[in-house]
Amino acid sequence: MISGARQARLNFFRRLVARAQARELAALVVPDPEAARTMGVDLEAAGLRTSFTPRHADVLVLTGELPPGLKKAAAVAYAQMPRPRAILAVGAGHVSPLPEPNVSVGTGQEDVAAGVAELRRIFARSAFSTEAADFDLDAVRTQTEYVCPMHPQVVRSEPDSCPICGMDLVPREAAGGNGHGTHHEGMDHGGHDGGAGASHGEHEGHDEHAGMERGEQDEGHEQMDQGSDDEGEGQRGHEGMDHGEMSGMGYGGMSHDGMDHGGHGGMDHGDMGFMSMVEMTQGTPRSSDGLQMEWAEDMPFGPLFPGLPGGLALTLTLDGDTVARAEAEGVEGWAFAEDLAGPAEALAGRLARLDPLSPVAYRVLAWRALESAAGVEPGERTALARVGALEKERASSHMGWLSLFGRLIGYSWLESRAGTLQLALARAVDADEVARLRGDGAGLARRVEWTPLLRRKLGGVGVLTEGSERSGPVARGAGVPKDARTDEEVYRSLGFEPVVRDGDDALSRLRVRLAEVEQSLDLVGKAGETAVPELAADPKLSSAGSATVETPRGAAALRVTLEGGAVEGVELDTPSARHLALVRGVAEQQELADALVAVASLDLSPWGVDR
Amino acid sequence: MNAVMAILMLLVGAYLVAVLEGWVSTGRLRPAGPITSGLALLGRESVVPRRPDRIFFEVAPPLLLVAALLAAAVLPLSPGLIVADLATGALFVNAAWVYVMVALLMAGWGPNGAYAMVGGFRFLGQTVGYSMLIVMALTAVAMRAESLFTTEVVKSQAALPNAIYQPVGFVLFFLAAMAVAFLPPLDLPTAPGELAGGVMAEYTGWRLAVMRLGRAVLVVTLAAAVSVFYLGGWLGPVLPPWAWSALKTLLVAAVMLLLGRYVPRLRETHVLEWGWKIGIPLALLNIFYVGVLLLVV
Repeated sequence: MISGARQARLNFFRRLVARAQARELAALVVPDPEAARTMGVDLEAAGLRTSFTPRHADVLVLTGELPPGLKKAAAVAYAQMPRPRAILAVGAGHVSPLPEPNVSVGTGQEDVAAGVAELRRIFARSAFSTEAADFDLDAVRTQTEYVCPMHPQVVRSEPDSCPICGMDLVPREAAGGNGHGTHHEGMDHGGHDGGAGASHGEHEGHDEHAGMERGEQDEGHEQMDQGSDDEGEGQRGHEGMDHGEMSGMGYGGMSHDGMDHGGHGGMDHGDMGFMSMVEMTQGTPRSSDGLQMEWAEDMPFGPLFPGLPGGLALTLTLDGDTVARAEAEGVEGWAFAEDLAGPAEALAGRLARLDPLSPVAYRVLAWRALESAAGVEPGERTALARVGALEKERASSHMGWLSLFGRLIGYSWLESRAGTLQLALARAVDADEVARLRGDGAGLARRVEWTPLLRRKLGGVGVLTEGSERSGPVARGAGVPKDARTDEEVYRSLGFEPVVRDGDDALSRLRVRLAEVEQSLDLVGKAGETAVPELAADPKLSSAGSATVETPRGAAALRVTLEGGAVEGVELDTPSARHLALVRGVAEQQELADALVAVASLDLSPWGVDR
Repeated sequence: MNAVMAILMLLVGAYLVAVLEGWVSTGRLRPAGPITSGLALLGRESVVPRRPDRIFFEVAPPLLLVAALLAAAVLPLSPGLIVADLATGALFVNAAWVYVMVALLMAGWGPNGAYAMVGGFRFLGQTVGYSMLIVMALTAVAMRAESLFTTEVVKSQAALPNAIYQPVGFVLFFLAAMAVAFLPPLDLPTAPGELAGGVMAEYTGWRLAVMRLGRAVLVVTLAAAVSVFYLGGWLGPVLPPWAWSALKTLLVAAVMLLLGRYVPRLRETHVLEWGWKIGIPLALLNIFYVGVLLLVV
């Protein structure tokens, strides 16, 4: 039986439906389809359609080892998926707080295809079951607190009366029982909203029952269907989670009662009769256009948002469709610098695991730092092989970004074409095979350059303020020839010149990446090797060393201190950590779509960010 | 009888549009796709989000379907095959499409989710951008036909279809029609990458199925409208009239679905800016041009 079966007795019609569902599986991919392709996994080819929202997905696909923050976000998304639903784990370890995956496979394409076939079988067999279990998740439990309708600062955990005006406090929902809840409180839910809460809830109950008749008679099933029958049972179904931990979910399930529905809620169902607009909006934040009713506080865009890299948690406060405040965070709970201490031999492996979006660059970074500590230079062949591996990864990473960016801006041809090329790069075994893709890369670049409306869409979006610290393609898209590769002998010998474009906007960054794909594929051809030999130096010493590598997102610098062959101290400076500070500048006071384009154009890796 | 035939044809049209849409988005042609995905949707839970505006939430999907069906009622498939040949037919379609905006606004507000709400209000803005273009382009069509009867409009194109007679109006109407059906690159209210589905994000199960059906029927009626107003509807040699109507409608629908694949989504500001600063002057010019043609030629 699948863990997310829908409670119902199997009959002829349901058997038919289950079979249809097995053929139409739509997947929500965690962290995102690009990360899956980096691992060489193509879910579309394996037969799973990718879905943009958990509401329209039936399979949660977990790819690779996930940090706790992403697991939690995935659990919330899973709770939002309509039943029947299932979990497919592709090379993932423990997935708690999620239920055990229904199918677990390795990361080979055949494994995944076999896993999907297995999933189809069990879906067809057990999408409906009488013994369906609920998915109970703490993060989505609803808590009730009591607030004074006139004085929103008065909040109690028990029913009481207001110490200021003496009115009875009215119940409202609090955010989920965890640390994140705190900073939402009292913001989304203006005082006016509370009055609606209780009576609205009752109302709901009736509506739900009325809404149940839709042709299916078994009660158990209906019960599950509508978890929100009453507030207390919110945690049972996935209805409950809408109000759960808001920053954890990243999809549309969040509540915005407070900001706009409070308005009609308060008027239609309020216990306290008429309330004027002035009273209702009292104490709510003033926006620049003076219309507070459309103010939406702390809306999560991520960590699982279709247009942003999986793991990046962007929180936007919206004023209508203008972004009033933006805040971005990396993957929660990800092992960072302090976890890198240990034997020196294992440093490269640990650093590579740190950022699954560009493992090769971080591996090379670790090797170089250790070599610098040992005072040795890698041989010419090793250096060339590293160039090949780094450039292959750069091309693949840029392709992944292009695919994601295509999805964000609604350019589906780009999304699918870049995805195909990214996969081809991930699967290419030697330098010749990679270099053969150069024509395709150039073709893609030409085509994107000639796309109608693209300039109007991207031009002038995401312009950085003077003096912002930029690196990588973001710097080179602003006309600054800043590239750590120019300092390297081996790159100079291959005739490397950094790609520079003027503009300092999303368009120029797109152009830089397009040109760099071609350039990187050229360099791979010249290097003639993509397999990196292991570390040359013997790191059994006590010393310090540092190195810099131009990752696909910019220069990353590492400083290690070794003590008798063990890593004592690590200082890591990643481009994404630096660029994260730019998010506010490019997103705030922009239209929502432009703000998202601007953030995406920075190509932040949520993994390379300490949190 | 006519009504039954028209609804049947519409459903067949919606089915074919769904197949086309699947083909465009996945690259695989699956003739049975709409049946299995429809069944799959029926078997899924239809989740009601927490504290929705229940009336808006429930009414939006059927309203979208009804708006599309109403518009179809005045579009002729062949000389005799029309549900209601109204004296105000060309105006009536426009009135029916207005309810698309109402439905999407309700779908945006109803489920109590931020993505949906932004999507709904975006479509309200989009409506401001496209609605004048629809009416003004139809004005020039009615001028030539000297009638608002849709059947008369078709007959007026016997010598030359409007697409050639007034190409500017044709292009404007075509683009505005894509905006009505919120097809990419004008899919601002659903915007998969920006709003994770927007107005459709919170609908699941059978409610989503109704909404998707409504959208498919809407695409068919808009394509049928383009064919009636600009491509000469049922007129054509050799084939029977209904076949010409069906062919032209499907062709227009296919172009509408394909176009968005190769361009990025428009910015909201551009939809409004271009609609008013470029579209409306062009539409006025078109009316003037058609007037001159009618008086002089």
